[in-house]
Amino acid sequence: MTHHRPFTGGEAVVEVDGGTVGAVIDALEERYPGLGEMLRAGSSAGIDGEVHAEPEYLPVSPDTTIYFLAPLVGG
Amino acid sequence: MTATENRPTYKYVGTRPIRHDGYDKVIGKARFAADQNLPGQLHGAYHRSPHAHARIVSIDTSAAANMPGVKAIVTGDDFPTLDAKHPNADTAANVMARGMAYYHGHAIAAVAANTKAEAQAAAAAINVEYELLPAILSIDESMADGAPLANETNHTKFVPPGEPSNFSTITNLDRGDVDEAMGAADVVIEREFDCAHVHQGYIEPHACVVDTGPDGKASVWCSSQGHFGVRSMTADVLGWDRSRVKVTPAEIGGGFGGKTTVYLEPIAARLSEKTGRPVKIVMSRDEVMRATGPAPEAKLKIKIGATNDGELTAIDGWMAYGVGAFGDMAGLIGAMSIASYKLPNLRMETYTVLTNTPKSAAYRAPSAPHAAFAVESVVDEIALKLGMDPIELRLKNAAVEGDLTAMGMPHPRVGLVECLEAMKVSDHYTSDVPEGAARGMAVGFWFNIGEESSATVNLNEDGTAIVLTGSPDIGGSRASMALMAAERLGIDVYSITPVVADTEAVGFTDVTEGSRATFATGKAVVQACDDLIEQLKDRAASIMSVDADQITWVDGAAISAAHGGSEGGEPLTLAAITAQAKRTGGPLTATASLNAAGAGPSFAVHCADLSVDEETGVVSVLRYTAVQDAGTAIHPSYVEGQLQGGSVQGIGWALNEEYIYNADGVMDNASFLDYRIPVASDLPLIETIIVEVPNPAHPYGVRGVGETGIVPPMATIANAINAATGVRMTSLPMSPPKLLAALNKRGK
Repeated sequence: MTHHRPFTGGEAVVEVDGGTVGAVIDALEERYPGLGEMLRAGSSAGIDGEVHAEPEYLPVSPDTTIYFLAPLVGG
Repeated sequence: MTATENRPTYKYVGTRPIRHDGYDKVIGKARFAADQNLPGQLHGAYHRSPHAHARIVSIDTSAAANMPGVKAIVTGDDFPTLDAKHPNADTAANVMARGMAYYHGHAIAAVAANTKAEAQAAAAAINVEYELLPAILSIDESMADGAPLANETNHTKFVPPGEPSNFSTITNLDRGDVDEAMGAADVVIEREFDCAHVHQGYIEPHACVVDTGPDGKASVWCSSQGHFGVRSMTADVLGWDRSRVKVTPAEIGGGFGGKTTVYLEPIAARLSEKTGRPVKIVMSRDEVMRATGPAPEAKLKIKIGATNDGELTAIDGWMAYGVGAFGDMAGLIGAMSIASYKLPNLRMETYTVLTNTPKSAAYRAPSAPHAAFAVESVVDEIALKLGMDPIELRLKNAAVEGDLTAMGMPHPRVGLVECLEAMKVSDHYTSDVPEGAARGMAVGFWFNIGEESSATVNLNEDGTAIVLTGSPDIGGSRASMALMAAERLGIDVYSITPVVADTEAVGFTDVTEGSRATFATGKAVVQACDDLIEQLKDRAASIMSVDADQITWVDGAAISAAHGGSEGGEPLTLAAITAQAKRTGGPLTATASLNAAGAGPSFAVHCADLSVDEETGVVSVLRYTAVQDAGTAIHPSYVEGQLQGGSVQGIGWALNEEYIYNADGVMDNASFLDYRIPVASDLPLIETIIVEVPNPAHPYGVRGVGETGIVPPMATIANAINAATGVRMTSLPMSPPKLLAALNKRGK
């Protein structure tokens, strides 16, 4: 989530709790106001080696690493 | 030729049947958008901005409205202004200007008349008063301190809200300690690069026919890469509910990313609504070049450090992509596409900047070709400096599963090493370089994407099947869908009719981009077939008077364990079951819809032999080979076609293609006479090698193949030119005048 660092004060990796990607985004929004809206405006997320588009309700476990990516596009 | 990793043996997947739509296309029966005509239809034409940047003070349509045959005129006032945060706000502002003209060719008004000539005459008679504004025509101008705004409504993405800006994105990617690694490197190479705007160059211009009926519903016929996308964008631009728009997909004469958006359809719909008659609009080539999306221009600086034994230890980059007057994130995507090498230390400073040029649109692996041109050129120089074979150097550093991409996420299972190995032992690479020629090679990467797809499979009474999907067939996907259904159901591929269904006949399906159709829509087809197989087993159980769990599905037939299983029971074929459908519960049909995750990234390795005429600067490509990981090639012929098509477009990008603007921001070469794409006589047959490293996230291992092939050609050609002449070309295109100038500077 390096391109979201303007919201996180420069932090590239942060730890938050949440049972779904959406809950994780809520936790990020609480800690970094504005970041949640940005992530929900259109993000992809890399989870367990697979890229998911808008995975709001995807369950995650406590040791899951979520890579928030810019919305991937193509031609 | 196919290099195949261990995978199951398939009966239909991997075969090469004649495509189901082949005859229609060969004999000219296939209907493209411009072939559609409706009774009573009118013809549309545009008045376009003659200025690169201007405020529209007034539009006087009175004279035009009274001209012969004119039935309606629309301007920006006929369309709602979408909220700035609306996902289609920029599309709406691009298809019809609202108070501001942001580039030469921006649509200002449109006319519907009885004939195209009458519409064009009236469009020319529209009187527009402009207040000229400073035009930003280059990346440097846009980024300069105190530069005027190219678009006063633009705000930089991914940062807290601020003042309007010429920057759409400003993003940095990094890992490790680049400065320390560069300081410790034995070899450091740094170069600057630039790339001109290029067009997707599809042969078929944009076209549509729209009939808005008295019930307020619009029927749209058009060619696109995604008719559901056309529906949503058209409805949004008009301020309508999506149920008011039905889009029927025509065949498509090339898109390559450029037909993932709309230009004409909302305008034709409003003109049709105003007149009560169908409206047809067909762009001229001139309009296609001036008013539809080129790929961005770019400037890049790339610095790479390496050890004496060829380990690439650090990359430090600066990238700026110029995307026209509307927001984009091309710079970020370009940096994210750096994913071929381990590179433990990475720093990328990226910018996406606005200019008063046409709004950029996607073009095969958008942003990656620019970045790969720069990175692969520098990697080539490092190999030369170290005296290493360029494939060996790349093998030493090639990314494998678990290695980080520039965007921070680790790679899943990928096939770069396999592609490099395949090239290394290829006939091309192991052959001597022809007399008077030189050789170059490079690699390319593209993410590929999944997104939403739907499929419906209907079994007919006689055991044949209809497969309906919402993905336009832009590269042989009808055949691929039929092959996957045939493999799953166990019936002949020609007993399946693949249909590209309209927006009211199949579930929502995202636009075909990101090489996603065979992966994601194919996944939906397989899921629907799996559902059908369960239904077929239930029906077979009824017919055989056994429990369903006693039935297995083998090679297109139900086998009952209670009747001896595959050893002794009589198989009940799919056709025998569908023949009894009415007696066992009715028609057999299944639908699957999904948001596909796990699109497998794809790598490619290209090699070119070429000669340079040092008197003229003309480059002749003598031999060209493209190796690419397809995961599993469902229909190898169409995979090869994608590899060849991407290569040819990339060679054109490398050697000839560019937008040439004059000082006023007017494109000076808006025709295929002056904007020269390669033709068959320019190039040898592109040789292909398909590597298959199956993608674990697809039932047959598919990776998208449509885009990666355009990523390596520019550096491949540049590296070969360097080998031929000793001149390192860093500016695209490497056209004869530019190469000749470089040769003269070098000294012959």
